[in-house]
Amino acid sequence: MMRGGWTLPVLCVLGFVFLYAPILSLVIFSFNASQLVTVWGGFSTRWYGELMRDTQILGAAWISLQVAFFSATIAVALGTLAAFVLMRFGRFRTRALLTGMVTAPLVMPEVITGLSLLLLFVSMEQLIGWPAGRGMTTVTIAHVTFCMAFVAVVVQSRLAGMDNSLEEAAMDLGARPVRVFFDITLPVIAPALVAGWLLAFTLSLDDLVIASFVTGPGASTLPMVIFSKVRLGVSPVVNALATLIILAVAIGVAIATWHIHRRMKEARKD
Amino acid sequence: MIQNAHAASSRPWVAETEPPFLRIQKVTKKFGDFTAVDEVSLDIYRGELFCLLGGSGCGKSTLLRMLAGFEAPSEGRIEIDGQDMAGIPPYERPTNMMFQSYALFPHMTVERNIAYGLLREGVKRDEAMSRVADILKLVQMTQFARRKPHQLSGGQRQRVALARALVKRPKVLLLDEPLGALDKKLREETQFELLKIQETLGITFIVVTHDQEEAMTLSTRIGVMDEGQIVQVGEPAEIYEHPSSRFVADFVGSVNLFEGRISVDEKDRLEIDSAEMGGTIHVGHSTSCTLDQKVWYALRPEKVRLDREEPVGEANRARGMVEEVLYLGGQSIYKIKLDSGKSVKATKPNLLRHEDDAISWDEPAWISWGDTAGVVLTR
Repeated sequence: MMRGGWTLPVLCVLGFVFLYAPILSLVIFSFNASQLVTVWGGFSTRWYGELMRDTQILGAAWISLQVAFFSATIAVALGTLAAFVLMRFGRFRTRALLTGMVTAPLVMPEVITGLSLLLLFVSMEQLIGWPAGRGMTTVTIAHVTFCMAFVAVVVQSRLAGMDNSLEEAAMDLGARPVRVFFDITLPVIAPALVAGWLLAFTLSLDDLVIASFVTGPGASTLPMVIFSKVRLGVSPVVNALATLIILAVAIGVAIATWHIHRRMKEARKD
Repeated sequence: MIQNAHAASSRPWVAETEPPFLRIQKVTKKFGDFTAVDEVSLDIYRGELFCLLGGSGCGKSTLLRMLAGFEAPSEGRIEIDGQDMAGIPPYERPTNMMFQSYALFPHMTVERNIAYGLLREGVKRDEAMSRVADILKLVQMTQFARRKPHQLSGGQRQRVALARALVKRPKVLLLDEPLGALDKKLREETQFELLKIQETLGITFIVVTHDQEEAMTLSTRIGVMDEGQIVQVGEPAEIYEHPSSRFVADFVGSVNLFEGRISVDEKDRLEIDSAEMGGTIHVGHSTSCTLDQKVWYALRPEKVRLDREEPVGEANRARGMVEEVLYLGGQSIYKIKLDSGKSVKATKPNLLRHEDDAISWDEPAWISWGDTAGVVLTR
């Protein structure tokens, strides 16, 4: 192998082009003045204006954010409970079964999850009248079921890495089990809860298949609206929307990187 | 045999002048089929510094965890200051524990770590803080009060963990390998500080350790554990000079063991016929044994005299070749291969800086010892 030659830099550039050229072209075309997505008609912010007036997209975005927020929050609560039971309650009889059931949604094809949930919701409505019809509630419940599995896995690994004697020490110093959980366990696993929440939020925001099954009239999520719009031909409005999403993600990543960098610098200083 | 440091009045286990403070009665702990602690009975007195000594997996930590309340005994009874501990959860016991990993709460400052127990007890904030300040002074950590545990060195963390366990003034303080994570130099210094603190506060300490030197320096009494059982309880000097079995003799310090049979058993002397020694071992005291019984003669390396010429006057002697010499600074360890093929260890203090005439490798030499130097063991 040649060292310090041009092979490595070229491969590197090719790699980055492969990854980012599509995104870059999307950003550029969001500023296209032309109606046609593939023909450059000069610079314009016209589509951003149209996006702001497109109530369908804005409404769907608002629904998606709400669903993502609530399902991530509920998933964190339930997933943490599941992880806690699996890690701290020793070897109870149905442990293996519970482990399997908690992690099953990770490997279950989305189509099956979506379909089975739809059937469940329909039969529940017939039997007990709840949930009445399908909409935001059913989408949120559906998202909780699969996001919870991801949260449980993340929290479980954090609990496994946590020194058991921390909790014992708190108990030894006079704290009752519930107190121990809130004073010691929760703060120590907090980073995993944040990570789990963000993961669940992203997964929920991103989901198209399951939402399509269990949603009802008036509760289309953003991925569903975008997908249906693209089927009718790519609208430059979608480009504008995508650019805004990329911008938001980029800002989020930048803040996270800066935060981690600062924490590491602090740790080194100690 | 009797340590001068402890006057008779401070040795209630000898005179039984007071009732035991902590009683462990026939305590057994089973995990499935495995018996971790096997019918242990132990009386510990107020103000003692009791060491549970044993190798890994001997059940010493399990016993400690039962005292703290983290494990419930399968059978038996634990009593602290006259109170039965059965069914009392850890957060209501008059004990505190210092964990091997220290278990400092990573998200709290030193101060808040130490105050945690007091606040749970319902002590007012002002009072708690003044008690925290006192205990920080005691362990010399005042200037680190606002630090987080990850900003401290190993030795400093150890002090914080000790302070946190001490601040509630428990009736019994349980210490799980308290000095295990420190380096040798720091460990020696900390041992003396631990002793000083224990004497100042007068709290009963129970220390679990696998380090026999640590047990020797720290404790009023040692309980040696093996396979879930207490094999011997005694003061450090008693354990060292009068081990009750080969296991204890070998585990505590270094020892030479000669296998043999009792050939003469009189009122105040014994003779052991030992093939390993290559002759007869003369013992100047009697022990409970019968003629022709298989016994082991335990001899500590520092009790062995080493000479170039055949010594006169000593009751026991044997000839051999110096096989190895280990120089340790303060002393040297000699390994001598006897004519019988048995290797014997002998230590010799290095009294001179240059000893040109020192006995060295591959030299023939004589070992000898008096008739009171060793112990006869029957198991």
